[in-house]
Amino acid sequence: MIDTRIDLLVLHGLAVKKAGRPADVAGVLGRAEDEVSSALADAVAAGRAIGANDTYMVTPAGRAWLDEQYPSVFASFRQDPAATETYERFERINRKLLALFTDWQMVPAPGGGRTPNDHTDPDYDRGIIDRLGVQHERAEKVLERFAELEARLGVYRDRLESAYDRVLAGDHDWVSGARIDSYHTVWFELHEDLLRMLGREREEAP
Amino acid sequence: MTNVTARVLVLDGATVPDREEIGNKGVSIARMLALGLPVPPAFVLPIEECRRFHAAGDRLDDELWDAVLEGVGALEEATGRRFGDPERPLLVSVRSGAAVSMPGMMDTILNLGMTDEVEAGLARLTGDPEFARSTHVRFVHEFGHTVLGADLLEEPGDHESVDAARAAIAEDSGEEVPREPHAQLRAAIHAVFGSWSSRRAKAYRRHWGISEDGGTAVIVQAMVFGNLDGESGTGVLFTRDPLTGAPRPYGEWLPRGQGEDVVSGTHDCLPLSALADQLPGVHDRLLDAAALLEREHGDVQDIEFTVEQGRLYLLQTRAAKRSPAAAVRTAVDLAEEGAIDREQALCRVSVEQLLTVLAPRLAGDAAATAEVVARGVPACPGVAAGVAVDDADGRDGDLVLVRPTTSPEDVAGMIAARAVVTERGGSTSHAAVVSRALGRPSVVGVGEGVTEGLLGREVTVDGSDGVVYAGRLPTEEVRPQDVPGLERLLEWAREVSPAGVVDDAPDVVDLDAGDGVVDAEGAADPAALAERLRGARAARGAALASAAGARAVLDAGVPVVVRRAGQPAAALLLRLAQQQIARRRERGA
Repeated sequence: MIDTRIDLLVLHGLAVKKAGRPADVAGVLGRAEDEVSSALADAVAAGRAIGANDTYMVTPAGRAWLDEQYPSVFASFRQDPAATETYERFERINRKLLALFTDWQMVPAPGGGRTPNDHTDPDYDRGIIDRLGVQHERAEKVLERFAELEARLGVYRDRLESAYDRVLAGDHDWVSGARIDSYHTVWFELHEDLLRMLGREREEAP
Repeated sequence: MTNVTARVLVLDGATVPDREEIGNKGVSIARMLALGLPVPPAFVLPIEECRRFHAAGDRLDDELWDAVLEGVGALEEATGRRFGDPERPLLVSVRSGAAVSMPGMMDTILNLGMTDEVEAGLARLTGDPEFARSTHVRFVHEFGHTVLGADLLEEPGDHESVDAARAAIAEDSGEEVPREPHAQLRAAIHAVFGSWSSRRAKAYRRHWGISEDGGTAVIVQAMVFGNLDGESGTGVLFTRDPLTGAPRPYGEWLPRGQGEDVVSGTHDCLPLSALADQLPGVHDRLLDAAALLEREHGDVQDIEFTVEQGRLYLLQTRAAKRSPAAAVRTAVDLAEEGAIDREQALCRVSVEQLLTVLAPRLAGDAAATAEVVARGVPACPGVAAGVAVDDADGRDGDLVLVRPTTSPEDVAGMIAARAVVTERGGSTSHAAVVSRALGRPSVVGVGEGVTEGLLGREVTVDGSDGVVYAGRLPTEEVRPQDVPGLERLLEWAREVSPAGVVDDAPDVVDLDAGDGVVDAEGAADPAALAERLRGARAARGAALASAAGARAVLDAGVPVVVRRAGQPAAALLLRLAQQQIARRRERGA
């Protein structure tokens, strides 16, 4: 288990989201809001973050500091074969999920090409929600493994579960909506979180 | 329909049982048979058997199993093949079929009855050992994944052996894929019934208030082969052109093709005319069947078919997917042919489809003469222009976000931008998913280092063709007369809707002005909106483009909607007509 310092964690959580209120960052980290608030205030005092109207952002200096800290703070995570092996599994699910989000948004058109999904075909949508369910169950297993290595990552399981639950209930925006904590939004943040912890570059899907 | 033992129904089209009895897929097969159409033979374990299965503690009783064996016998008799016989092998598919389809149910397993011996027999019959082997591997994978719940990381590779696939499944699930055909069938039926109580299916029923007391039927159907000889093949047929809506059949034909080959897009298919040249009798029969199915369903059909040794089989028919332009044209044509009425035609076209059809496009020759500054993969359709920046968050004006790749940090910038361009990634990258969710035209994968040269320049992004142009190119409106069928449809909408749509009118109640502004999302409560509009002579507002807004206009008896900039009159009118039809139906009900 990694004992990650709260000063690094709040900045890391903020970097994953880019800008956020203490409550958002606390949600990503699974920590108490007042603890996060005071750590954010410290980060501002150290010049690593700026804040206005209760919303914070990482400064360039904060970014540089994070990049400097990551290799030592996550050294054991980076060297743990269990972490890299689990990340490989994550990547495979990632490819399936991104293909699925694409199918959700764009329907393969006869004769090639795709047209935007206007959600007039409930069978088509249901098929994709079914595929999301299959990947969600695989993602749960991966997150259980990650949570054993870094308890904080277990928070993503709850956030994904809550997005999936809303999709099942017919709130279609929760598949890939960009302005809410949709399944894709949470997955995208998880991906960024893992890339930062592991010190890897983003490999985009074809 | 023949009762084997009253526990299993062999479908023969003599009667069409209820959805509640045999589920929607079973009904679909029975309906095709009742029309006299050629469908591979099938039998059904009715939904009632699913209840018994659960009441007995998730057990298939012996009497039911005897009935299943008799059902298999009926398929053997109809096909002249035998289950597990290498010389003339019968393979079957097993599908679930609830009255209401829902996520979490086991869907389909193909090629049950496959063994090492059958694989060898199939290799001889088809003259294609590679096909026999890959069918076997796919069967093992599918069975392992769907029935045994193995979580395999990869799809079967091109050269994976059956033994390797079996070993991977045994390691992950702790269970073997049965080698005996009847054991495969029994386990598959077990899995379909069991999937009714899967976690996801239960969660779905809880959300939607669907009774736990239902269940799923199981359909067992003979598989047919499109790769047996020179008079075999597989294909798809659309009863009308799904791109343009033109009233002529459109389809693809793959001689010696099997199963998913056509749909998967991995093979180069021939046009339907090739089938007409090769097997004219089959082609004529197919077109007759297609016309019959379109009439029966009152909508354009997408039909999957296979020809086995010169004999046509229809595997599936469903309402065809179509382009937005085709949706307009087919709805009008079907109504003019009398297949549906005008109100149905108005409901067949969604407002979103209409907006897509009417979206502004690059003016005629503007693109031809413009400088192309980047080319990539089209990720979200549409055209937009602005100044290229690498961070659009918090900035004003028309901006195009250009990035090597995107991370969650860029989402705020994508919201602020008019369009998005990335260097890396394809049509399924995070950037592509987010830009589509936001409706921002985007081009992805333009190549390493390309975006740097764009920064600070004004560019136009064509997300439909995947091209970025220098400068701000002119766009042009699409007029209703440019879209085949649309003027007619709008005529009908005017007849239906008591409220008209105009460019200007006196005494307008403007929902976007002054106090109490109602935005598009704020229109969720039509009653409150109708109260606000009561007595108005004319209304205007972003909220009126929504279904709830149109409903409020009609409920308040407002005679005229004044369109705002950016609101196509056609879309407002269609919305009003659709809501008026819905109101009438509710009153009638």
